[in-house]
Amino acid sequence: MEQVSRRTFLAGALGMAGLVAAGALSGCAPSVSVSADPDVLTLWYWNLSIADSLLAQARKGIPGTGRRLATDKIGGNFDVKLRTSLAGQAYIPDVSALNSNVATYFPIEDQFLDMNELGAGRYRDQYLDWKLALGVTSTGRQCFWPMDTGPTALWYRRDVWDKAGLDSDPDAVTAAMTDWDAWIETGKQLRKNADASIIINAQQAYNAVLSASAERYFAKDGTRLYDKDGSAVRKAWDVAVQAGKAHITSKAYTDTEKNSSLSAGHTVSNVEAVWWGPQLQAAAPHQSGTWGVAHQPGPPGNNGGSFLTIPKTSKDPEAAFALITWLTSPENQVVTYQESSLFPSTPASFGSIRPDAPNKFCGGQPITRTFVEAAKEVPTTFISPYESTVGDGVNLELTNIETQGKDPERAWDDAMARADRQLKKKGLL
Amino acid sequence: MAATTLAAPAPTQAGPSIRKKPTSIRRFWPQYLAISPFYLLFLVFGLVPIVFSLYISFHDWDGVGPMKYVGLQQYTYLLNDPRFWNAVENTFIIWFMSTVPMVFFALLLAFLLHQSIRFKGFYRVAYFLPNVTSMVAMAIVFGSVFSDSFGLVNSALTALHLDAIPWLSSDWGIKTTISVMVIWRFTGYNAIIFLAGLQAISPDLYDAARVDGAGLWRTFSRITVPLLRPVILFVVITSTIGGLGLFTEPQVLLTESGGPNEAGMTIVLYQYNQAFTQFDFGYGSAIGWALFVIAGLFAVINWRLVRERNSLAGNVGGRTGLLRGRRKNRGNH
Repeated sequence: MEQVSRRTFLAGALGMAGLVAAGALSGCAPSVSVSADPDVLTLWYWNLSIADSLLAQARKGIPGTGRRLATDKIGGNFDVKLRTSLAGQAYIPDVSALNSNVATYFPIEDQFLDMNELGAGRYRDQYLDWKLALGVTSTGRQCFWPMDTGPTALWYRRDVWDKAGLDSDPDAVTAAMTDWDAWIETGKQLRKNADASIIINAQQAYNAVLSASAERYFAKDGTRLYDKDGSAVRKAWDVAVQAGKAHITSKAYTDTEKNSSLSAGHTVSNVEAVWWGPQLQAAAPHQSGTWGVAHQPGPPGNNGGSFLTIPKTSKDPEAAFALITWLTSPENQVVTYQESSLFPSTPASFGSIRPDAPNKFCGGQPITRTFVEAAKEVPTTFISPYESTVGDGVNLELTNIETQGKDPERAWDDAMARADRQLKKKGLL
Repeated sequence: MAATTLAAPAPTQAGPSIRKKPTSIRRFWPQYLAISPFYLLFLVFGLVPIVFSLYISFHDWDGVGPMKYVGLQQYTYLLNDPRFWNAVENTFIIWFMSTVPMVFFALLLAFLLHQSIRFKGFYRVAYFLPNVTSMVAMAIVFGSVFSDSFGLVNSALTALHLDAIPWLSSDWGIKTTISVMVIWRFTGYNAIIFLAGLQAISPDLYDAARVDGAGLWRTFSRITVPLLRPVILFVVITSTIGGLGLFTEPQVLLTESGGPNEAGMTIVLYQYNQAFTQFDFGYGSAIGWALFVIAGLFAVINWRLVRERNSLAGNVGGRTGLLRGRRKNRGNH
């Protein structure tokens, strides 16, 4: 009997201990911030999104504040991890980087602080207007602060241009293609004279045109624009469909296909952002010296570029904003450019990133200057959080037209029907 | 929070009011304690998410903001969603295209490995290797091999004066490529399972067959296959589970879009797409539960087949199949 009662006692004690532990756990809420240390602000970012030397400096002390920085390099699916923290209201960073999909955070903008209230006004004129505008939510709050940008231009192979009997001088290339119709004509000549494609696929053409447009899928108040006659989306669609029909695209969709197509010389031009250079170089190292960069038809666009944000639970919003403005100051964006090749969002940096330095891969052409010129001309636009609800279907149908020969009008109708269905589901139609 | 629910039962059992029933619990508490880690972990990381996903499926939720109760709306949308039905169709086509050849090849391989040949150990390891190779690396290799304009396969086809096939851009090309990836990855794995089954068959039977003058094919079809039946059923059931949950292959090969015409969009890939790229967790959960229903249907069919045809050994295989099928699907949430 005594044996049993001791066991009973032990079981009871164990149970009590568990109960106490559980009570303690549910009694005190979990830490809202990642770090419990009041002097430490935690920053979440991903590999190569911020210059390491700047972070090392901030870890010792954030300039202008009495606080230090702790950094967590978040691998894998950054958005899912940040959203999980926000959903649980626990272990939220005090500052976080966000990628170019920043608009998908607009519906939960109340989770982030409006930097206008933290003194953003003083810094506004240092940044590119269009980049600042991308960080403003539908309700006009500046919740997301500019880091780098991705101005786009036309990359092309001089040797193939020569072979096709076209003037390969960058200025001449720019002058020869002032609009997308001229671009298609050039594409036809490349196909005829050199049997090469002017762009990687029709989707790329669509996005190149759209990302250089002031109008996109939705107006700021949520009004649908894409389905109107003559909408920017429809215009970009038409360019892509025409390019597909004229057989001037490479139909390459997977990364391996794209790289092979460039390396094999099937694709000799592309409209893409400044960050594409290193990728191109890796895909086709033997083509060094043959490439060049000209302005794309019409106005230049932007593809990519990240932001910084302050969750509302941030320990010290002022210090967080001080960190943000310090990390993205014109001088420090030069450091970031030198270390990680991230293109600045502050025009004052442009003079210090050696715009006239010759680029070896592009035959000594000072290509940075072209991108600097492009960055200043990117139109201001509004990216809606629901773009992928419509855009995924549009992009899919473009692929269907290009790879499976689907009838363009049917494809457009299918894309619109899919958009309607999905918007209706989200209660936006 | 979960700790509250976990610890709660212990003190109630220890309370003096309930005397008769808990004696066995009290007497065997070290044993219960010993097996508890699995159940506690399952409770926290299995059961709670499963129940929660059912709850979410009746709501509209972006993962962060407030949840809105929408009743059965997610499910009515699902029934009328052509993208979902396309995903169901794709999943079944790919499952069929991969499972049938895979089981056949695995059986053949196992049969050959079971013969008295040299370097047996080497072959076993070699055939198992694909199963432990990184899928991301393999997707790059397969993407190159099946590339439309630059792939090895199409180069070989054109060298033989045949038409190149758009493996990564046509509906059937995509399904074939994914099926080949699945076959490549799981044939060796299943061959090892078959081999274990083969080794359990008494050599006396083979000797007797040889004495009776049976050839290789006759031995295979009359002795090996019938005696391997429970193992074959096990392999088919696990392949069904894997096939219904197909995700990695299409995702790494074609990204979340599912490829042209969404020809490589499987149920789980669509679920992932809705929950983690569209942040529509309510709908993602509804898709998960729809998959559960489909898997449940399959489990019942499996179970019936096994119960009717195989009186003894098969019954066990069928039950485990049923359980595994459920668990696997819940695990996907």
